[in-house]
Amino acid sequence: MRGFSLALLGLGAVGLVTGVLGLTGAAFVAYGGWLAAAGIVCLFAGWYFALSARILALSGGDAQSRVRLRRASRVKYDLGAWFIMAPCAVLFLFYIYDPLIESIRLSFFETKGMTTVRFVGFQNYRQMLIHPDFWPSARNSFMYTLWSLLIGFLVPIVMAVIINEMMVGKNIARTAVYLPVIVPGLATVVLWRFIFGAEASGGMNMLLAALGLPKTTYLSNPSIVIPIIVLTMTWRGAGSTALIYLAGLQGIDPQHYEAAIIDGAGVWSRVLHITIPNIYNLARTLLILQVIAVFQILYEPLVMTNGGPNNASVSMMQVVYRYAFERFDYSHATAMSVIIAAILLALTLVYNRVSRPSEAY
Amino acid sequence: MIGKTRNTRKPRGGRVSGKTDGLIRQYDLRKPPVAAAYAVMMAVALLAIVVSVAPLVWTILGGFKTMQEFTRGIKTVGPDGKNKWVMAFLPASFSMEGYIETWRQTKFTRNYLNSLYSVMGSCVSALLFNGLMAYGLSRLKPRGWKVADALVTGSLLLPGMINIVPLFINLTRLGLTRSFVPLWLGVGASAFTVILFKNFYDAMPGSLFEAARLDGCSNLQMFFRIVAPLSMPINMVVLIFTVNGAWSDFLLPYLLLNNSRRATVMVRLFEFRVATAGVTAIEVLRATVFSILPPIVLFIVFQRQITSNVMASGLKG
Repeated sequence: MRGFSLALLGLGAVGLVTGVLGLTGAAFVAYGGWLAAAGIVCLFAGWYFALSARILALSGGDAQSRVRLRRASRVKYDLGAWFIMAPCAVLFLFYIYDPLIESIRLSFFETKGMTTVRFVGFQNYRQMLIHPDFWPSARNSFMYTLWSLLIGFLVPIVMAVIINEMMVGKNIARTAVYLPVIVPGLATVVLWRFIFGAEASGGMNMLLAALGLPKTTYLSNPSIVIPIIVLTMTWRGAGSTALIYLAGLQGIDPQHYEAAIIDGAGVWSRVLHITIPNIYNLARTLLILQVIAVFQILYEPLVMTNGGPNNASVSMMQVVYRYAFERFDYSHATAMSVIIAAILLALTLVYNRVSRPSEAY
Repeated sequence: MIGKTRNTRKPRGGRVSGKTDGLIRQYDLRKPPVAAAYAVMMAVALLAIVVSVAPLVWTILGGFKTMQEFTRGIKTVGPDGKNKWVMAFLPASFSMEGYIETWRQTKFTRNYLNSLYSVMGSCVSALLFNGLMAYGLSRLKPRGWKVADALVTGSLLLPGMINIVPLFINLTRLGLTRSFVPLWLGVGASAFTVILFKNFYDAMPGSLFEAARLDGCSNLQMFFRIVAPLSMPINMVVLIFTVNGAWSDFLLPYLLLNNSRRATVMVRLFEFRVATAGVTAIEVLRATVFSILPPIVLFIVFQRQITSNVMASGLKG
């Protein structure tokens, strides 16, 4: 009862504050008036329940009043603790959850600048689906994900296995492969744009020239632009994933290997029957995290190719970026974001259905 | 490579010999196919190290070159007496002049100071907000703490980029563009940091808290006098990751601070990308070096803490 009334009070306070913010136009909040009203109702209900609980406790004589005292101090304790946690909780609400709800709401409205004009239902979605940028970007986002699974998924696993087998220089290898992770993402993208530059000054072309091969183009070639961008992403991301796998590998009990050796298992069957089953669940989690991350790719095409040549590398997030921050059309931008979120949600659900966790060794 | 493998067969120190852990053991290396495979693996390791480091080295070396040297190469006279342009990986001279000139011309000092300002506020925000939240979740556990826990861990599952448009609208409405405040506070909504703190606080002995409670510490006093001072290792790790994250953050800073005097290093670097910025290719290359040097220095100093923490927490930073 107490928890319920406290929850109502909290909910009411949050509703009231956001509602009033919306009403005064201080923040972009949906249905400010309704929210404020619902907040007030919740506050009253919470107050009523809290009070009735207290009256019930009062009516019970001595033993009960001791309970009441303890309960009163418990409420004080809870409030004090929540007071400590509140600032961070508010930040989470403001930076993550409110924008999420706002995204969904805005996608159903026609907007003019930052104000909503009227409710239009699924019109924004329909317009997005027939937009000439939509299908190329959707196809590309899937291609990025596919290539990143082909190139990027096995690289960290292989790297981790190899580093784990090193007798000397393990620390140097660990440090070196993590170095690209620490470099700012935007800087690495700019850097790779230089390396894959089409001129003779590009790093790759310099390498080709040193090997006596003619120079070639990379980012302006529509058929290889996506794999190349995925290569640069793998360069940047593989290090941190490899270290996580490395930790998983070091967690394998050496006795498993020893027992297998005594039983006469060769190296290959040890890999198949001990190493792989031990990191299977980790790989399963990291795979879906990778899919979620790569599907939202934005910086790389934005900086390296600006989506070109001829939309060959434009990603779905980049379409959001174009709508929101180049054309200031927020309703179509949020409709696109909601589509991306829905695709990711569907992918995650299907993936969880298809790949069951294996029994850990 | 074969020589290297043979080398590893020698017993190393005392009676413990060679490779006694991991997948491949000393005994396996006596078989030629396994030894060959091991040699290939070590070659791949070497390749991985080179590939990880080479692009950064190439960029830093490139910054030493002059504009002409960078785009066309070094002019040499060939045997036939004609001029020949040769592209070299190494610059003709390692003089700092080019770097200093670009730094002066682009007035990068201001951007460095802005980034420093953004980083410092972010650190305070991370230690204070996330630390207090983790303390509440780990130790205080008021009724309903699971709601807060769900708020934090749930945010890890949400696609991160989806939020940027409404967040930008909200911040504009609140008049918080061209300000560092939203960047500082945004760091406080980091589930990664909260979880790092919480795991550490969970492992602290409970008797500490009971003793402090008996001595009459309030909840807040307990945090500032006992929890925070005793959490120096994790505070350091969080600081390192926050410094690097705030320095590298780009999209929200760009939306809020572009074309203002408060542009951070990353915002400036992105502005250079556009042709209208009026900077040459070599200047962009040098600016890239400016932007990657502080994180690299940070990493070299703290590499052990960083790599071991990534392995211990299993979280991607």
